[in-house]
Amino acid sequence: MIMNSAQRALDQLRSTRVWKSIFRRGPARTNRTRSLAVFGNLFLHVLPVKVRDKSLRVRATYYLGSFSFFLFLLLSVTGILLMLYYHPAVPQAYRDMKDLRFVVSNGVFLRNLHRFGAEAMVIAVFWHMFHVFYRGGYKPPHQFNWVVGVGLLLITLFLSYTGYLLPWDQLAFWAITVGTNIISYVPLLGQPMRFLLLGGHQIGENALLRFYVLHVVILPLAAVMLIAIHLWRVQKDGGLTVKEDHEREK
Amino acid sequence: MNYEEMGKPSKGLRLAFAITSVLFLVVLAISPLKDLLQQWKRYKKEFVHFAQTRPDTKRLLADFHSGIDQIWIPNLNVVDRCSTCHLGITQPSLLDSSVPEPFRGHPTIPHRAKEWGCVVCHRGQGLATEVKEAHQTTLAWEQPLLPVGYIQASCGVCHRSEIPDTPKLNRGRELLEDLNCVGCHRLQGIERPAMIGPDLTEVGNKVSREWVYKWLKEPRTITDSNGNVVVNGYENEEEPRMPQFRLNEQELRALSGYLSSLKSKPLEPYKFDARVIAAWEKKADLAQQGEVRFRQMFCVTCHSLAVTRAGETKLIGGDIGPELSKVGSKVNGDWLIAWLRNPGEYLPHALMPQYQWTDEDLFKVTRYIQSNLTDPDLLSNLPSLGPPRPDEIQLGQRLFLEKGCASCHAIKGVKSPSDFGPDLSQLGSKTVSQLLFGEARIPHTLVAYIRAKIADPVSVNPAARMPQYHLKPEDLEALTAALLSMTGQPATAAYAQLVVPAPQARFRPAGKFGEVYERYKCYVCHRFNGFGGTLAPDLSFEGSRAQRPWLIAFLRNPQTLRPALTSRMPQFGMTEEEAAILADYLGMVTQSPSVNPDSVSPKEFTPEMANLGKQLYEVKYQCQSCHTIGATGGYVGPNLNNVGNWMNAAWITAWLKNPQALVPDTIEPRRDFTDEEIKSLTAYLTTLRQNPHIPAPRGTVGTPGGSR
Repeated sequence: MIMNSAQRALDQLRSTRVWKSIFRRGPARTNRTRSLAVFGNLFLHVLPVKVRDKSLRVRATYYLGSFSFFLFLLLSVTGILLMLYYHPAVPQAYRDMKDLRFVVSNGVFLRNLHRFGAEAMVIAVFWHMFHVFYRGGYKPPHQFNWVVGVGLLLITLFLSYTGYLLPWDQLAFWAITVGTNIISYVPLLGQPMRFLLLGGHQIGENALLRFYVLHVVILPLAAVMLIAIHLWRVQKDGGLTVKEDHEREK
Repeated sequence: MNYEEMGKPSKGLRLAFAITSVLFLVVLAISPLKDLLQQWKRYKKEFVHFAQTRPDTKRLLADFHSGIDQIWIPNLNVVDRCSTCHLGITQPSLLDSSVPEPFRGHPTIPHRAKEWGCVVCHRGQGLATEVKEAHQTTLAWEQPLLPVGYIQASCGVCHRSEIPDTPKLNRGRELLEDLNCVGCHRLQGIERPAMIGPDLTEVGNKVSREWVYKWLKEPRTITDSNGNVVVNGYENEEEPRMPQFRLNEQELRALSGYLSSLKSKPLEPYKFDARVIAAWEKKADLAQQGEVRFRQMFCVTCHSLAVTRAGETKLIGGDIGPELSKVGSKVNGDWLIAWLRNPGEYLPHALMPQYQWTDEDLFKVTRYIQSNLTDPDLLSNLPSLGPPRPDEIQLGQRLFLEKGCASCHAIKGVKSPSDFGPDLSQLGSKTVSQLLFGEARIPHTLVAYIRAKIADPVSVNPAARMPQYHLKPEDLEALTAALLSMTGQPATAAYAQLVVPAPQARFRPAGKFGEVYERYKCYVCHRFNGFGGTLAPDLSFEGSRAQRPWLIAFLRNPQTLRPALTSRMPQFGMTEEEAAILADYLGMVTQSPSVNPDSVSPKEFTPEMANLGKQLYEVKYQCQSCHTIGATGGYVGPNLNNVGNWMNAAWITAWLKNPQALVPDTIEPRRDFTDEEIKSLTAYLTTLRQNPHIPAPRGTVGTPGGSR
């Protein structure tokens, strides 16, 4: 009884104009409307239509890709919280570190989550890549997604590097000094690239601001887009690469 | 695999999930717990308990709240959270040393914590809320708390001129100048002066090679026959400024050889009249007469002599010129006479005035110096040196530059090195990571480093070129404080605005007065508009004070105005004309804006007023407890026997109204005289004349500004 009336109420809700304008369909009563529900929903659509049992086993992937994605989400959330306390300015940047440590409730926890999360993400992404490589995941039809993955690796590394300057302490300053000096050894383009990155000839307020914008806007946006393509292509290229796929090919 | 089992996690996976979930919960719990147990929260609670044991609980807890306290001064970029734990700093009732830290009150100082914060003076990490982080050098903060014994250094960061509340800092700055640290180092706020050590261009005419050898080996003033230091020059704030260099035998021979070879032409002995000398020589007490003259001329105002009393040797006398106990064994007799006649000829920047000598005085005094101020053992125990060899001279010339001698001493034709030692103008803000401690077993702090470096330069750096100074402990502390105050350019414009610069005073008059002023080096002892020495009275307003005839008489034959003082104005033997030039200039120029010479007319004074004044002086105000008139009275203030000839009536009136307005640090008490009483006292004082008619010298120019 109750189930029926609940079903009826839900169907009524799904027939309203508001519901339809949002979800582009009415009540899912037929197979067609059910599949439309999946196609019409971004989040459901990203997921594959069918998932093979083998690909869900721990040993199949060790969930390394998911783990990297989860860390990306964690870093986004903690990063946004940190942005509430941080000014990309000299000398305020370092004083904000002090405030996070001494005044903000759980500020140390927040910073540590972001910091160790970032380190874990670099490890996870590398591990993910090795794993995919040794499983032969770069072979057709996955070759494009492999390239996207390499792009994501570079973005992860660059995010990690740009984030390193932001505390504006001695470690940050000298690490970036060394890093940008390495860039300047690139033939011909080295010096202009270094200049572009630092916004000047030495590490100062401009460099801090550029690294900040790269760290919180440009690189995360690029990462989000590439992650979306990456996940979408997993599905389009026939799901995860499982061991047996290649054994069968042999 | 059947459909139901699909997607069901394995047992191991479930276990892993369970364990990580528990771990995650634990981690989530730790962070808020750490927040809850922070140190400052404990101190806050303790303060509440502490306040309840005090009688003024209500007042102590008036501003109390449970969160973090901070002093925020936006324009200085100060955020100090020290008062989160130091909860009593603004409470005067907690000043007592029995109050436990961190609750003790802050001693009263001219600056309020609310306006300046704490870190501006105390250093440390104001942003921190943990004891160790706030006070010490940590991984993430290099500037530790400044030890409270050196806190005056922080005053000096902004106050570049002398302030009375910082004796230690003032002493340190004085030492920095006296020891001529700027000769080798760049220092903040101390201009590089002309060379402070003597010019050595002609030193071969002055002293022997043996003496140079001994001096370089041990420049400290008085040693006994065993070579032990009896009087340490530094401990007595006396000469020498010369530090001890670590020189080996070869270097000593080379330098002494080089220096003793420095003479362009041999000295021409001063020619006394041979017949007159023959007459003087017959007197048995020639040296004694010289000593009497030496004392009458008050050479000891600037120079000291070693006096042994009750087995203890002490230097007695002034510290402007060098100590003279053994000078007779040091200098060449012909040089001594030439020097006494005209010091400026040998040493252009000499502080010694050029006396007007009679031949007789000159002969007697030099005889006294050469026969009495000697030490036969001074140059004993020296290896036989003989005349210098060319290779010794050559090496000496090189060592003169390498050892840094040229930073303090000039030799014509030898270029002095600029910045021989490291730049110290920002030493006070150096961090520990910028310092090299070497093998020294001292705490790794900036304060310990500076102390060790000054006390024993080799202890932190075996290759140090810095010579050895022998400082007494409190002077070492003072020097350290002064160096700590040199923190370089202020970090922000807001701080730069706080700096109170030291006034740049120069008083170098030209013309006839300038010549006489320079000849007698008036500025060595007297101060003119902030420039000059502090040994003798400030003469910035002397023209308002003294009458011209008195001034002239005094300059020619200085009388003791303050019998309690041991240093007195020397007798220069000035001519009448010179004295008149000085008196005229002082009368015209050195007038005080607070003394109007026309405001008081001595003609109005009547004998009745003077009688009333005498009564006020003797009965009502009892001035005689400090001042002497006739044969009775105190010795604290100047003798007033001749004040009617000495001082202008307008000055006396202004002085009685408010002595501190004329001389800010005078000890004369300010009394609440009525105008009538001031008039009577002035009338009385102007009648006090020893010699009613001092004839003004004839043939002088200018308007006598002071004589009315």
